[in-house]
Amino acid sequence: MKPKNLQWNSARMLPGVFVLLALVSFPLMSQQTLDRSRVPPPGKPPVLRVPTWTKTTLANGAELIVSEKHDLPLVSFSLTILGGANQFEREDRRGLAGIAASMMSEGTKTRDGEALSNALQLLGTSIGVSVGGESGVISFVSTTGKFGATLDIMADMLGNSTFPADALERIRAQRLVALTQAKAQPASIAGRVFPKVLYGTAHPYGQSVTEESYKAITRDDVVAFCKDYFQPGRALITVTGDVNPAAVKATVDKALASWPKGGTKPQFSYPPLPSPRPATIYIVDKPGAASSTFAIGNPGPPRSTPDYYAIQVMNTMLGGLFQSRLNANIREEKGYSYGVSSSFSYGRGPGPFRTGGDVQSAKTDAALVEFMKELRGIEGTRPVTDEELATAKDALVQRLPGTFASVAGINGALAGLWMQGLPDNYYQQYGKAIAAVTKEDVVRVARQYIDLEHLDIVIVGDRASIEGPLKATGIAPIVVLDIEGNPK
Amino acid sequence: MSSTGRKIALLASLALACCAAALRPPAGVAGAGSDAIRIPYESYTLPNGLTVILSADHTTPTVAVNVWYHVGSKNELPGRTGFAHLFEHIMFTGSGHVPYGLHDKLTEGIGGSNNGTTSNDRTTYFETVPSNYLESSLWIESDRMGFLLDKLDLAKLNAQRDIVKNERRQGVDNQPYGRVNEILSHATYPPSHPYSWDVIGSMEDLSAASEDDVKNFFRLYYAPNNAFLAIAGDFDPAQAKAWVAEYFGDVPRGKPVTRPSAPPVTLSSEQRLVYEDKVQVPRLYVQWPTVGEKDDDHYALEVLGAVLTGPRTARLTKALVYDQQAAANVSAYQGSNEDVGEFSLMIIPRPDHSLTELETAADAVIDKLKSEGPTADEIRKALAGQELSFLRGLESNLGKAMQLCDSAGFHGNAGYFRTDYQKYQAVTAADVKRVADKYLTRGRIDLSVVPTGKLDQASKPAESKKVVIDKMPRPEVQR
Repeated sequence: MKPKNLQWNSARMLPGVFVLLALVSFPLMSQQTLDRSRVPPPGKPPVLRVPTWTKTTLANGAELIVSEKHDLPLVSFSLTILGGANQFEREDRRGLAGIAASMMSEGTKTRDGEALSNALQLLGTSIGVSVGGESGVISFVSTTGKFGATLDIMADMLGNSTFPADALERIRAQRLVALTQAKAQPASIAGRVFPKVLYGTAHPYGQSVTEESYKAITRDDVVAFCKDYFQPGRALITVTGDVNPAAVKATVDKALASWPKGGTKPQFSYPPLPSPRPATIYIVDKPGAASSTFAIGNPGPPRSTPDYYAIQVMNTMLGGLFQSRLNANIREEKGYSYGVSSSFSYGRGPGPFRTGGDVQSAKTDAALVEFMKELRGIEGTRPVTDEELATAKDALVQRLPGTFASVAGINGALAGLWMQGLPDNYYQQYGKAIAAVTKEDVVRVARQYIDLEHLDIVIVGDRASIEGPLKATGIAPIVVLDIEGNPK
Repeated sequence: MSSTGRKIALLASLALACCAAALRPPAGVAGAGSDAIRIPYESYTLPNGLTVILSADHTTPTVAVNVWYHVGSKNELPGRTGFAHLFEHIMFTGSGHVPYGLHDKLTEGIGGSNNGTTSNDRTTYFETVPSNYLESSLWIESDRMGFLLDKLDLAKLNAQRDIVKNERRQGVDNQPYGRVNEILSHATYPPSHPYSWDVIGSMEDLSAASEDDVKNFFRLYYAPNNAFLAIAGDFDPAQAKAWVAEYFGDVPRGKPVTRPSAPPVTLSSEQRLVYEDKVQVPRLYVQWPTVGEKDDDHYALEVLGAVLTGPRTARLTKALVYDQQAAANVSAYQGSNEDVGEFSLMIIPRPDHSLTELETAADAVIDKLKSEGPTADEIRKALAGQELSFLRGLESNLGKAMQLCDSAGFHGNAGYFRTDYQKYQAVTAADVKRVADKYLTRGRIDLSVVPTGKLDQASKPAESKKVVIDKMPRPEVQR
C-alpha cells in the first residue's frame, strides 16, 4: 500500500546512523544529544477566546442570540425551549414529550412526511427535534447557502405539523420494541432502576416510561402537548456560524412571523425528595452476566448551587479523568474493570451524583470495597495533594477552547447559559472561580454532597455469584429488585 | 470496520465525520462546492521512513497529534487473536523516559484528551492538547515509538490483559447481540483468513500472549517505516518540523513489513445460522462479502446502503418500517476495511411479524432494486449530505489528523480524502445497480439471533443451523 516506506531494506543499520542522517537533513535540529529524560515545558499559554454574541427579542417574545464564526461555511441553528417533560408531561403519560417530538417530523399542511424528508435530504441536512427532562430543542446544522431553505422547513414543522394518527401508532410500536430491547441491556436497566431508587416514583426524576404510559398516549395528547409546549415566550433561538447578525434577525423574523405570541417560562418546582434511608445495596439479577454494572449515588444539588465550582474540582479528582482516584485504583491498579467514573448531573432540580461502571463479576465485592474506600478518601481519609488539586483545575479550565471549536458546540454552550440562568460573563470568570477552590472546599463539598450513610448502591449482575460476597463485605444490607426496580 | 480501544470513547462520530476543506469561497456564496473539499497540508518522510503530515489551522487554540501504525488484528498470528489491541493498551503503560501516568497528566490533566484505537488494519494513537503542549506530545509519542520495551515487564502485560478481558466482558459477552460480529466474521471467512477473527480476540488467546510476543510485535510493526504522524491545528510548522526531527529522527528503521494476504472472498452458497442469546427481541442479520478500500466498488456499495435504508424514503425503510409496518427498524450499510468489506443488513421486527416474513419482504425490495436500479433522484439524495459531513469534520483538529493519516496510510497519499470524495460523488445509478447485482447474491450469511429457547423465532428455522460459540472453527495454532 505504501511502497515508498518499504523500499529501504536497512533494518540492521544502527540507530546512530540515523541520528547523523537526521542532522544532515534537518539543520534546524540542535547539535546536542537529545536529553529524553527532560520533560518538555509548555510554551506560552494560548489566550482563551470566548465567543461573543448579540442578543435581541423577536416580536413574538422569543429571544434570539447570534454568534459569528466565519472560518467555515457552516451555520448551527437551535430553538431551545425552557422546561421539558418534567414540567409539561403528565405522570401517567411518561413518554409523551419524546413521541410528540418525533411527531413534528411526520408532515405539515403542505408537505407530508416523505416530502419533508425528501426536501431535507436534498439540502444535505436533517432537523432534530427532542424533548428532555428540563428542556427541548429543534435544531440543525447546514451549510451557509442552505440555511434559509432549511430554516423555512423548520418553521413549517413548528407551525403547521399535522400529527397524523397512523404515524403515532407506528412511532408507539417502534418505541415499545426499543423498550423491550432495553430490558436485556445492563446499562439500560441500571439507567432505569437507579433514578427510581434515588428519587422514588413520586418525583419526576424517578419516573420513567413504561409500556402502560406509552399505550395511554393519544393523538389528542400529542396535539395538545405540542401546542402548549412550543411557545415563543419560553424559547431561545441561537444561531452560530458564517452569518451576519442583522441578516439572521431579518431571516428568522420572517420565517417565524406566524408563530403566535404566548407561553411563559416554567417554574422548576419539584416535590420534596424521599427521606433518606440507610445505605443499601440493590441487586438486579441478570443470571450469568459476565460483568456487574454499578450505579452508586444519591440526589445531588441543582446547577444553581454556589458550590458548583468546588464540586467540579472535587469530582474531577474523584472520577472525572482517566487518572482520577476511582479509575486509577479500580481499573489501572486492581484491574477489576475497563473503566469507572463519577459525575454530577446538574439541572434546575437536584440531579444525581453517580459513580460506577462495569466490573468483572468475580470482582464485584472487591470493587465495591474500593468504591467505598475512594468515596471515604475524598471525604477526608486520603488528603488532597497539591498536584491533584492543580491537575483538576488545569483540566477543567484548559478544556474550554474545545467547547468552542464547532458551531454546534458554541450554540450548545450559549443555550446552556440561558437554560441555567448563568451570567453572560460566565466563561470569562470561570477560570477565576475554579482557581479559588481550596483543598478544604474539596473535602467539605465531598462530605456535603456524597452521603455515605445514605448511599444507594445499584448493581445489575449475576445474583447467584455476587450476592454472597457482597453480603460478606458488610457494607450495607441487600435488597433484590426486578428489572423495573420493584422489590422482588 | 470493527474497532476497539483503550478507553470507552465515542469515536464513531469522528470516524464518520470525514474531513477536508479549508480554502473556501467567500461567505455568502451558496454551496461551497467541491472546491471546499480541501485540507491544506504538507507531507514529508524522515530518513527512518516516518511519514509526517502537517496541517496548520489557527481557528481553535488546540493541536491534535495522531500516530498511525499500519498494523491491526489482521497481522496477528493464529492463537494470538486480540493481540494487536492488547498491545495498544501496553503502549499506554509508560516508556523508556516517560513514566507511567505522565502521558495522561500532560493530556487530560491540562484540558486535553488522549486515546488509542485498533481496527483490523491499523492502530492509531492520538491526543488533543492546548497548543502550547505540542512539544510534550511529540516527546511522549516518540518515546513509546522508540523506547517502549525499556520499561516493559510481565506485570504490565498481565495488568493490561485483565483490563482487555474486562473490555471484552463489558462490550461483547455482557451485551445483547454482542457476539454477532464474531459469528459473522467466522462464517464469512475461512479460518486461515486474517479477517475471520474479531479485533477484540478470544479470552483464550488473550491469556496465551507472552512477553516475547509483545517484544517481537513491537520490533516489527512499531517502527517509523510502518508509521504515519499527523499534526493538525494551532502550531508553527517550522517549529513542529524541528521538534519532529529532534524527537523522531533517531528512532531506528525497522525491518520491512510483509502484509498478510487477505483477498476479498465470495460464498458459493447461502449459510443460514441461528444463535440463542439473552435477548427479548429477535433480530435478523444478513451479510454479503464484498470488497474493501482497495476496490472502487465500495463507493457504489456505500451509496447502495443509503438508497436502501436511513431516511423514511429509503427503499427498505419505506417498505418494511413505513408501508408494511412489519419492522421496528432496518439498517443496511457497506463496511469497508483495507482489503475486504461486507454489506450488512439488520432487521428488528415488530411483534407479530416473523423474521421469515421480513427476510422475504427485504429480498423482494432488493430484487426490485437489482432489476430496475435506483432513480437519479435517489442517487442525488444519497450524495447530497456528503459536503456538510466533510465541512463538519473540519471543525475538529483531531478529525483532520485522523483523515490525513487514513489517506496516507491506506492510499499512499495524504490528499487522498479529496479523491475519495470525488469518487463517491461520481457514483451513478448504473453503478449502484451493477454492484447490487454483483454482490447481493445468494452467497451470503443469514444469522437470526433469538431469545434463548426460541429457535422457532429464527428466519426459516428448519433450514438454519444452530451456532455454538465454543465450536466455531478457530484458526489453527501453528506454534
